[in-house]
Amino acid sequence: MSATASYLARRAAQKERVRILYRRALKDTLNWAVHRHLFYQDASDLREKFDANKHVEDLDTIDRMIADGEARYDKWRHPDPYIVPWAPGGSKFTRNPTPPAGIEIIYDYGREDNS
Amino acid sequence: MALRAAILRHIRVPVLQTLAPASTASNWQRWIRPMSSHGDDHLQKEEVIERVLSVVKSFPKVDPSQVTADVHFQKDLGLDSLDNVEIVMALEEEFKLEIPDKEADKIDSCNLAIEYIYNHPMAG
Repeated sequence: MSATASYLARRAAQKERVRILYRRALKDTLNWAVHRHLFYQDASDLREKFDANKHVEDLDTIDRMIADGEARYDKWRHPDPYIVPWAPGGSKFTRNPTPPAGIEIIYDYGREDNS
Repeated sequence: MALRAAILRHIRVPVLQTLAPASTASNWQRWIRPMSSHGDDHLQKEEVIERVLSVVKSFPKVDPSQVTADVHFQKDLGLDSLDNVEIVMALEEEFKLEIPDKEADKIDSCNLAIEYIYNHPMAG
């Protein structure tokens, strides 16, 4: 019984690794593609690579394949990936942050009383 | 001349009626645009639902007539886990988001996607 449980746990972990690897690889494909129409072909090629090993059952083989794929992803990772502007590393990260609470700006256009 | 004056004295043009529709509140709100492209304006729930559904419907392997707001990608639409990844990435692009890998992995249904995007401060 515990053998089945550990088998299932290992399978679940492997599935998650594959999903995250596919997600990262797909994003990286988009980073490498200069135009959108080039991305579609690259993305379906990537999908074919993943689908080719869809029915592999042996756990150790799967582990080795995932490690292989992760190594290949790491090797071909884009040096300057696209980052959403507000995200860490993006071009607008911490630009124009919201003022802290309690600070109030009164716009009376130079007609201040105590000047 | 006398006739013209007599007519003008009796004619009443309803000025207020013609001016009123142009200055209602809803019309003004449409014209006030936020200064920055993100962050200031929070999306309405209906808009989020509509855009999420349109993204899911335009996914090539999905039958658009089956898509509703509470559909599960893999159980109801017959997709596999990699298709799920692709849909989440399409949603990220639609709403200009960057979802961390671990959180994106949890999004597996329309409901979850709508909730996550609606509650995200940067969704735009």
